[in-house]
Amino acid sequence: MTKTSLKLLVLAAAMSVATAASAQQTAGTWLGTLGMNKITPKVDSGDVSAPALPGTKADVESDTKPRFAIAYMLTDNWSAELDLGVPYKHDLIGAGSIEGTGKLGDAMVLPPTAFIQYRFFPANATFRPYVGLGVTYAMFIKERGSAQLTSILNTGGPGATYKLDDKAGVSAQIGATWRIDDNWFLDATVIKTKLKTKVHFSTGQTQDVRLDPVAASISIGYNFKGLSF
Amino acid sequence: MRHTKLAIAAMALAVLAGCGGSSPEAGDQTVRVKFSSQVSFGDSLSDVGTYNVGTVAALKGGKFTINGDNTAINATLTGRNWTELVAAQLGLPAPCAAMTGLEGDASKGFSVARVNHAGCYGYAQGGARVTNPVGPGNAATGSALGALTVPVVTQVANHLAISGGKFKGDEIVFVMAGGNDVLFQLSKLSADAAAAGTAAGIKAGGEAYIASLVSQLAAGATDPADAAKNILAAATAAAARGASQAVITQETIGAAAVQPGNGAVSSQAVYSPMVATATAAGNAAGAAAGPVAGAAYAKAQGPVLVEALKTAGTELATLVKTQIIAKGANYVTVNNLPDVATTPSGRSQSAETRALINAMISAFNGALSAGLAGESKAVIVDVFWVSNDQATNPAPYGLTNVTEPACDLTAAKNPLGTALTCNGGNLKTGDVSHYSFADEVHPTPYNNLLLARYVSRSLVTKGWL
Repeated sequence: MTKTSLKLLVLAAAMSVATAASAQQTAGTWLGTLGMNKITPKVDSGDVSAPALPGTKADVESDTKPRFAIAYMLTDNWSAELDLGVPYKHDLIGAGSIEGTGKLGDAMVLPPTAFIQYRFFPANATFRPYVGLGVTYAMFIKERGSAQLTSILNTGGPGATYKLDDKAGVSAQIGATWRIDDNWFLDATVIKTKLKTKVHFSTGQTQDVRLDPVAASISIGYNFKGLSF
Repeated sequence: MRHTKLAIAAMALAVLAGCGGSSPEAGDQTVRVKFSSQVSFGDSLSDVGTYNVGTVAALKGGKFTINGDNTAINATLTGRNWTELVAAQLGLPAPCAAMTGLEGDASKGFSVARVNHAGCYGYAQGGARVTNPVGPGNAATGSALGALTVPVVTQVANHLAISGGKFKGDEIVFVMAGGNDVLFQLSKLSADAAAAGTAAGIKAGGEAYIASLVSQLAAGATDPADAAKNILAAATAAAARGASQAVITQETIGAAAVQPGNGAVSSQAVYSPMVATATAAGNAAGAAAGPVAGAAYAKAQGPVLVEALKTAGTELATLVKTQIIAKGANYVTVNNLPDVATTPSGRSQSAETRALINAMISAFNGALSAGLAGESKAVIVDVFWVSNDQATNPAPYGLTNVTEPACDLTAAKNPLGTALTCNGGNLKTGDVSHYSFADEVHPTPYNNLLLARYVSRSLVTKGWL
């Protein structure tokens, strides 16, 4: 079992032991959710700066990882949510004039996001659609190159590396919860984030990349009270 | 309850921090196919030091680029050509010349015995053509250098001869040739066209001289028309005998003086200006007719050259198929011909000649592509496209000059006047680190890196790198 999944189990356990009196999604309720989230970047890549083959672009593959979110009902309808998760690992592949190179590298990203949400219908409704608006802070870590990246940037040179700038972006969310019982519910949500970053290669070249990821997740949630601000 | 809140916050942070260190890494640098060796056939663009002997070595030359590690001057001046860069990327030893030597003027240090080097598979030689053993710089062309110019067909045969008649199958094979077929044919065409132009100029000049002289000499006669007819007959008779211009002139004046009423022309004071005028007319006509005839000759011969390059392209494709792939090679990279018309040499030519160069290269590359179509063990790298794009769109490539050589090719600085003897000590002044060309046709180390990257792109895409 990995370190990360262990941490998530601890979190889940922490949720289940919280005092769980009959808790519909009324003001003062906590909504903890645990599920799977797939992040698919919708990449609009700039060209790698000179010296490069004109039109050297990048694409980024999707990744699916566990997701944890905790929301707090400020009123029966307004809530604040924090989305967390383990780092996503995205493959970087060649595009544009270097289309067909396949994987050139990978990078991990942690995109914690804070939302203000509006949840429709009464607190005890079976089906509660909601919308949210928030801020994502994308932190890029462990960017890794490859022989292929080196050969395209600086054939025969030292292994090429790259670094992505950490960036904040605006996220919009649309989702819904389905009541299972007073405590348990299902949650499905789609988040679109506007996110632009810059790649800095060890060769001195740079590249602007608009990632604009779409995140889609399905989670199981638990309502509980007892932690009041 | 405060405790729980704290616990959750702490756990959230733990998840965030769970990733550990974040420094970028170069990652896995192993290539997708593990090659046992690199075998390279071709010409100066791939030559790793065939002529790095005798005076060439003494002049700190040897390769057809800016020679030597001059990274102290600028990081781009590595002295390495594209085959060396790709070998390094593939994790293979630095390539070495399979044969060295020079067969030129011994008094200038250009006569060094041929030596074959075991374990060296850099067969490419400056001046080499596809099948013709005499390329630019070969002693048979009158060159003092005496480049060996072993053609690609023989280079391949030499490799087969030392390796049991076959490739092992796990070599990466590079083929890049045909450029010298273009240059050699062009240079021959240029010489032949100049000769044709000179001959035509002399003929037209002579005719114009006589016409002018006759009309001037006849003008003072009682019957100018009749006199002109008689004078012209004398001049034509003299010319037909093959007499020199002085004799023709003398006899023409003699014939003019005996025409009725025309005795005055026998006086030097009278005929001298006439001769001067006629000479000017003849020179003008000759100067006008020579280039026209030369161009006409070149135009007539153009299709012959295009056809010759088409043949060379087909020969190279056949060589790759029957002597390389059919003999066991599984990984063959064939570079097509670059855009020669945009090299400094090409740019110095007339528009007609550049069009001819393009037609020749197009014929060669077309035949090469057609000949290797559907050949899964060969990758054709479209060097023509990228070199043309570099010439017309240099900025994204980081090129600062695509029209002039980086090397000082004056005789005082570079006795051979080529990149073969260019090094960090005889560059042009100023920053030439990102020039395209070292000399009139050969790329700088920086441009070699651009080529290596372009070849790499094809190899990565093919799944070989």
